[in-house]
Amino acid sequence: MIEIKDLEFSYSPKTKLLSDLNLKLEAGRIHGLLGKNGEGKSTLLKLISGLDFPKKGQITVMGFDPGKRYPQMLQEIFFLPEELPQANLSIENYEKVYAPFYPNFNNEQFNRFLKEFEIDSKKSFMNKLSQGQKKKVMIAFGLATNTKLLLMDEPTNGLDIPSKGQFRRMVASTINEERCLIISTHQVRDLDSLIDGITVMEGHEIVFNEPIENITKKLLFKITERNENDNDAIYTEDTLRGHYQVCENKTDEESKLDIELLFNAIISDKNRIKQIFK
Amino acid sequence: MNTTFSFKRLGLLLNRFFIENKQKELIFWGIAILVFTLMHEPEPATIFIYISGFLFAARQFKIFSYTPSGMHYLLIPATHTEKLTASILLSTVYFFVMSLITYCIGNIIGTSIINYVLDRSMPISWELFSSHKVIGMNLMLEPTKNQFWELLTTFLQVQSVFILGSLYFKRNAVGKTLLTFAVMGIVFGLFQLFLMDNIWSDIHNAGSSISMNVMMNNSAFMKSMDKIADIFFYLLIPYFWLVSYFRLKEKQV
Repeated sequence: MIEIKDLEFSYSPKTKLLSDLNLKLEAGRIHGLLGKNGEGKSTLLKLISGLDFPKKGQITVMGFDPGKRYPQMLQEIFFLPEELPQANLSIENYEKVYAPFYPNFNNEQFNRFLKEFEIDSKKSFMNKLSQGQKKKVMIAFGLATNTKLLLMDEPTNGLDIPSKGQFRRMVASTINEERCLIISTHQVRDLDSLIDGITVMEGHEIVFNEPIENITKKLLFKITERNENDNDAIYTEDTLRGHYQVCENKTDEESKLDIELLFNAIISDKNRIKQIFK
Repeated sequence: MNTTFSFKRLGLLLNRFFIENKQKELIFWGIAILVFTLMHEPEPATIFIYISGFLFAARQFKIFSYTPSGMHYLLIPATHTEKLTASILLSTVYFFVMSLITYCIGNIIGTSIINYVLDRSMPISWELFSSHKVIGMNLMLEPTKNQFWELLTTFLQVQSVFILGSLYFKRNAVGKTLLTFAVMGIVFGLFQLFLMDNIWSDIHNAGSSISMNVMMNNSAFMKSMDKIADIFFYLLIPYFWLVSYFRLKEKQV
């Protein structure tokens, strides 16, 4: 679905934001794009959607060069940015204006998602809604477009607690073998049951890109007593309940993935992680 | 849907404008009728059409002043040509036709009110649509020019400049476009003076002014110069549209 080769990008000639970035993302998965602030996650999403152009390297999205912004490609991409666009329209009119651009838009689905998010009136004006409500409308619209590629930048920011669960259910109900969803987020706890592939950006490059099944096969996430420390652990976090540890899974033991712990492990010792996943 | 020009997508883009701006447009055209009722003489009406026209054109790509809205616009599944065509159609055909319609309504209402108040039976003047007389100063130099054609072509020139300006400048597009073209006008004017000084330096009157007699006497020469200038200014319209197209195509947010 997405192939990036030797990508280089910068906003100013002096500082490179992304360099020698290589990435391959398949359809049928929900990819979590993680990274510290300023690593270029949002920029990467913009480059994938064709809003920015690479300085060097190549991006292919569904066989297209995104920078050309061909309608055949754009009708299969929906990008939900962190900050939402201004729209002086009622929800009803927003649908009337933008839905015809997306050939697979499902009106029934849109109405159902709005109902689940408890947005009752489609007569409400988008600019009169709170930021959270506006985000719900855009999420519902984005999912209902049924585009092959869905890019979401911090989708759960601004959502209330029940809505985060609704969001997870909606996303899970719309993903299929043909669809690829990339979620860039810091709120990993909101999405840990949803994501099935993790991509981590560090030092302006991709340092980790693996499906969940591989991660739990090769890494072990465990809690140990505070007095028993595994010196072989890749990463240890000291808490009141004991030591949260990420270790190499040498015994094929099963454990539950903790994305936050994984992320910290990657950041603290990326070379060892790279070696394990070689 | 494919990459070739689609009238369906163009229609959707136009529909987008009208649904999003329905209320604003109704208010503006209401105000325009009021203005034309009060000022239905050709000269103030023309000035109003030009000024409101360039303000409208400069708003065409105002969407880029707020990055998320600009992103949303660029991701609408339509080609750059369709997006630009929609903006050109709106700022030229739609705006010009609506200006003329509201002018006619304002003119009829204004003249009727004057006739009623002053107890006169003055006929409604359609001088703006005249095909003979030229408004203002140009009358002396170009008595045969079609006034309506002049209005239309100048309007198109102004609109094409401001569409480009709205794509180039993220904020305060009107002011920055005016300033840019004022600077360019001064440079162009100085260049013209330089050329005239070199070509007709022998008929200089002690360096203070150039005798205009030479031009008036040679009407064939003047006419051909005038035609060349006309063609040059007409060509500026598609030129600015073309530059706008490349600007939109290369736009990054």
